[in-house]
Amino acid sequence: MAYVALSEAEKTYILHGVEDDFRCDGRSRRDYRPMELETGLVSNASGSARLRLANTDILVGVKTEIDVPNPLTPEFGKLEFFVDCSANATPEFEGRGGSDLAQELVLSLQNAYESPLAFDYRTLCLIPGQQCWKLYIDILILECGGNLHDAVSLAAKAALFNTKLPRVTATLLDAGITDLIISDNPYDCTRIGIETVPLLVTVCKIGDYSLVDPSAEEEVCSTVSVVVSVSMRNGAPYLSGTHLTGGGAMHRDTMRNCLQLGLSIGEHLDKLLIKMLKQEQERVGPKRPQIVGFLK
Amino acid sequence: MLRVTQTKNSLLDGASIEEELYTTPQDGKNFFENLDKPAKEPTKLEPRNTFIRAGVLTTVRGSAYMEYGNTKVLAIVAPPKELIRASARRMNMGVLNCYVNFAAFATGDLESVPERERHLGSMLTKAMEPVVCRTEFLNFQLDIRVLILDDDGCLLSTAINCCGVALVECGISTYDLITASTACIYRDHVFLNPSAKVEELLLKHRGNANISNPSSVQEHGLITTASMDTFEQIAQCQQCGYLTPDTYVKLLDYTLAINKSLRQLVRGVLTKRVKEQHELDLRDKAESALEDQRLGEIIDKLKTQGLDEFIQTNIKEDPYVKRQ
Repeated sequence: MAYVALSEAEKTYILHGVEDDFRCDGRSRRDYRPMELETGLVSNASGSARLRLANTDILVGVKTEIDVPNPLTPEFGKLEFFVDCSANATPEFEGRGGSDLAQELVLSLQNAYESPLAFDYRTLCLIPGQQCWKLYIDILILECGGNLHDAVSLAAKAALFNTKLPRVTATLLDAGITDLIISDNPYDCTRIGIETVPLLVTVCKIGDYSLVDPSAEEEVCSTVSVVVSVSMRNGAPYLSGTHLTGGGAMHRDTMRNCLQLGLSIGEHLDKLLIKMLKQEQERVGPKRPQIVGFLK
Repeated sequence: MLRVTQTKNSLLDGASIEEELYTTPQDGKNFFENLDKPAKEPTKLEPRNTFIRAGVLTTVRGSAYMEYGNTKVLAIVAPPKELIRASARRMNMGVLNCYVNFAAFATGDLESVPERERHLGSMLTKAMEPVVCRTEFLNFQLDIRVLILDDDGCLLSTAINCCGVALVECGISTYDLITASTACIYRDHVFLNPSAKVEELLLKHRGNANISNPSSVQEHGLITTASMDTFEQIAQCQQCGYLTPDTYVKLLDYTLAINKSLRQLVRGVLTKRVKEQHELDLRDKAESALEDQRLGEIIDKLKTQGLDEFIQTNIKEDPYVKRQ
């Protein structure tokens, strides 16, 4: 994670704040920082989203390509994640400095999206065994303000919601070859279902307490965090990939409590995200939101 | 193994001309039926047949070899060396790097090897970080290398066990002994220490027969847990797949129980190794004492005979130089 220099006194201050359930920025242990989310702001990508979680700034673009499915899973499309840590985020990312962090984020996302129950790969299928969509999810980290796992997964989910796949019709030619015709009409498109798409929730342990959405300063104080991937299916939360990070260890009971906290927060977050995305989508005509982008 | 090799025909624009185009859900089902299945709920929580030996290589200080059933792993720990990258220096702890490599013959599926190596390396680093006293080698980095000789499932957990032994052998201070094990669930069957076949079915085929019925959710997933049992700490718990929280905790408890019995074994191996080393040290000591004694005799002789006489008696004639 990005490095922030903190003195012992500052660390103690943060620790005492967490113990009293009143953090430096006035939040309780279960609160998130304010978020700004905007979708469809990159015109060259099939889908895009920009998320700003206090100081953390993420831009996600989804590109599409036609590919041949894996013979072991003929009915499934493909997803590929790529994370780029911009050197603007922190000077540490200059050169190849951000590659470790980028790799960690890619692996957690891949792990969370791996199960066909978490992401319905069948919606990306064109002709079983022959042609499928491959989505490239490119994630750009513009500013690093802590809690990257959560921010990245939220932005990725929003970008997938925004993704428009052009409608494809197939014609059969000689020798069993199929020819694909992609619709010219930009409004003739299909969408991807995101109901079960997982969100990552980082539950961070500081002192004896666990909290969500740590800021960069709080991350420095924490000994260990659990990254919980929550996928909602039929109204019930499921785990689609968890791991420990941060170089510490925890007791089994603490782990259970962290999971519980992560699951309940993830459930809530998922509900809110879907509500906000639907609201944005329904604002059409004169009420249509203006694309703000990076201008404030 | 359930695998399809497609021959691409360039004339047909990459389309396949094989009879067997791809695996169907039925193939996966048949493959699963043919597997040896344990009871739905495991009765005995114990590791596979295990062999561990510390100090197998003479060229590096810390090395360990482990066989876990048919999975064979070699771990090497080199003594810490100074950090090269200046950016990592600002942290007030040493840096740990783990690298995992597959031997060329370790697995049949060569395509996915680089990605698996990267994934295993990153997870292994995360698992080993809590156990090493990283505050003791500030501004230094510790490199752990793992070579996988044979893959029959449970790779990550075997690598963690093996690295734990190699660390102790190298004399790196650790907070505790670390042990790890794997459990997975597939089609309502719980597999402890799953073999490569089960893991392949679970991860590559991704349970594709399961989702035909959208209303019922069939859980599938794999958990690898590394624990340090003195204070019952979990150093790493990695899960993939799709599980309810209750199943997750159930599998977690199974793996923790296996870790406990593995710990006894690792401890036994290490104490035996220490005893062995002690005996070797004693023998070395006896040999050096003998050498000292011999030298002492020579010195005594020197004292009694005087220098010139001593040199004269010890001169050996050089056969190549003719005496004048």
